Amino acid sequence: MGIAKKLSPIAALALSGSVLAAWGPATMAASHHAAGTSNKTLKIIMWVNPPAVAAVNKIDAAFQKKYGVKVQLETAANDQAGYGALQQTAVQGGTADIMAIEPFDPMPYKQNTTTLSSVQEWAEHGVFAPLNGQSYLSHFSKTDLGAAAYKGKDYGLVTGVYQTGLFYNKAIFAKYHLAVPSTYNQFVQLSKKLKSHGVTPVWTGIGNGATFYLEFAMFPLMLDQLPQYSVSSALASGKLKWTNPAMITTFAHERAFFSNDVEKNFAGQNWQQMPGDFAAGKAAMLLDGSWDLPSVLKANPHMKIGFFPFPGSNKAANNQPVANPDLTWTVLNNSKNKGLAEKWLAFFASKPEYSQYVSMTGISPSEMGSYHNQDATIMGKWFGVGRVIQQSPNFLVASGPNYLQPTNFWSEQLNMVQGQVSPKALAKVYQSAQQQALK
Amino acid sequence: MNSVFKGRQLLWVYGLMIPGLLVFLLFGIVPTAASLVISLTDYLGIPGVPVHFVGLANYVTLFINNLPSMKQSVEDTLMFAGGVTVFQNLIGLGLAYVLSKRFPGVGFFRTLVFLPAVLGVTIIGLTWSLLLSPSGGPGASLLGLFGTSSAFFGSNTWALPLVIFVQIWANLGFTTVVYIAGMNTVPRDFLEAAKIDGLTEWASFWRITFPLIAPALTVNLTLAAAGSLRTYDIIYVLTDGVHNTNTLGMYMFNTAFQGSGNLGLGAAIGIIQFVLTVIVVLALQRYLTRREEAMS
Repeated sequence: MGIAKKLSPIAALALSGSVLAAWGPATMAASHHAAGTSNKTLKIIMWVNPPAVAAVNKIDAAFQKKYGVKVQLETAANDQAGYGALQQTAVQGGTADIMAIEPFDPMPYKQNTTTLSSVQEWAEHGVFAPLNGQSYLSHFSKTDLGAAAYKGKDYGLVTGVYQTGLFYNKAIFAKYHLAVPSTYNQFVQLSKKLKSHGVTPVWTGIGNGATFYLEFAMFPLMLDQLPQYSVSSALASGKLKWTNPAMITTFAHERAFFSNDVEKNFAGQNWQQMPGDFAAGKAAMLLDGSWDLPSVLKANPHMKIGFFPFPGSNKAANNQPVANPDLTWTVLNNSKNKGLAEKWLAFFASKPEYSQYVSMTGISPSEMGSYHNQDATIMGKWFGVGRVIQQSPNFLVASGPNYLQPTNFWSEQLNMVQGQVSPKALAKVYQSAQQQALK
Repeated sequence: MNSVFKGRQLLWVYGLMIPGLLVFLLFGIVPTAASLVISLTDYLGIPGVPVHFVGLANYVTLFINNLPSMKQSVEDTLMFAGGVTVFQNLIGLGLAYVLSKRFPGVGFFRTLVFLPAVLGVTIIGLTWSLLLSPSGGPGASLLGLFGTSSAFFGSNTWALPLVIFVQIWANLGFTTVVYIAGMNTVPRDFLEAAKIDGLTEWASFWRITFPLIAPALTVNLTLAAAGSLRTYDIIYVLTDGVHNTNTLGMYMFNTAFQGSGNLGLGAAIGIIQFVLTVIVVLALQRYLTRREEAMS
């Protein structure tokens, strides 16, 4: 707009406080401990990933013991539902010193207030304190740190990489003499055999706010179909069209997979219950991320599990797991305890604490060195390997055209998977939204 | 109109109103005015980042660029609010009629009906998510007896009706209590006279009780409509706004706090929701007040 009237930041903050007071009934599932700020209380916020929360609690206890300060951990729902509101409060109200984020790279093709996600806006506007110069950074993978770097500044300590794919129950595979599939057609045959024995092939759960978990199937199908592209960026820039035949094949395979191979009513299954359901033997395979493996093993410690990437292509060499740099620690610039926060990050990165974190969470470590966890044993050669694509890929536009907004994008894809929209029609509405976004 | 209070008494009356008015001003008027101002800016809620006046740009984004989302959201809101308002009042009225009678255990049943009203939204959401879990929940087992199944809150067909049902379940107690209070004001001799005159129970309810509880109906319909038009919390807990449950409240929450953190755009959705609520509630109140006057 022509007239760019600047409001005073103080007035703006006061207004935002009023708005939050009006909008914010305390309904988010947050575990809030004692309130009150003091120089000796370090406040950390993160989303609920049970093994990671347990590991951070242990690290906090050790930090408290070593430095004689109080550490307060606050958690809320998952990183796509609920936690966003907690982050907003921390950024605006200065209610946290350390905040967990999902890495924000790559930035959107066109950068403005409607295309940037909250985390990207925060990186752009200096909400995070740069960590450059901290000695522990040199021990971490530069590629992984790059996922939370912007304009030469390292804003986050990327704690590791998780992978998505298919975990399988070795006992069921052995019982029916089944081999691990390496191509899409082999997977289809495997699934048919399981069904002929009355076994549900795959279990997953996207209910209660995890519609975006459809990406566990869509991303590998898309990446494996189009290995010559950096698909996410190619779609965002318009170099690759959603109506490309390979994308339509991707959607058709995704629909076939969810119709034929996944348990009935997966759309209503609570995402938090799927590790337990798989551990209870409800299906031969689990479509999930490696972050849930510790929860499966906790539910059934004697279960023998294997892993293979979702085979999206009929060329075995194309099929790889999808990898996401995951939980990333940032220090907030408005923290009253910045020094203490940096000390906590150094403590977290120290060998004994980081080893414990890797061991408890099953994450593929970003810190160089020798680490071990059960995920590494189960995933074998696939551990830490895969094509990187963010859980919030850059073809999604936060407040952009209807079908590229995250909620609507996944909602419409669920409609396609459930048979209400054809793969071709889905590709068409996505492409139309993409063209609108590129204008 | 002659005032009951005069001179110093009147000053006292105004003086006693000041604390209440201040609270209303601070927590009612100021946030609404602030939302209106914010909706005209590109406010992101990031400390230190300048806020620019963008005029009606946020409204243009909503009504032109994002028209399909906006349209869908308004439709979902009206479906949800309509379903809740109508059925909550019909069921509440029926229950109140039964529970306003005297029979053994009536106190227990009244408490039972009111019980959900004291539960928090998260507890209600968790309870119904578990009861209607597609694998192993009691709802699934019940459907299993008939050889069928459902994704419940994950179903495009059933998610909205089920969310409406849960919202009604949670608020039914309050509606019922208001109707019971209204029914208790109906003079007994009217009903006894009707009985002597040979009116059936239904005719007695329809011709005597129902007209006389018009004020209770006005209160209940207005509160149910206003409350359901701005609901987002129970939807957030049960479906996260997918499967035709993306009401304006959910859309605003996701825009302001989840996706881009675009508080300006979120505030614009909030203002549209506010305007819609005011229009619906005023129209409803006008109709109901006229009805009350006609009845009296």
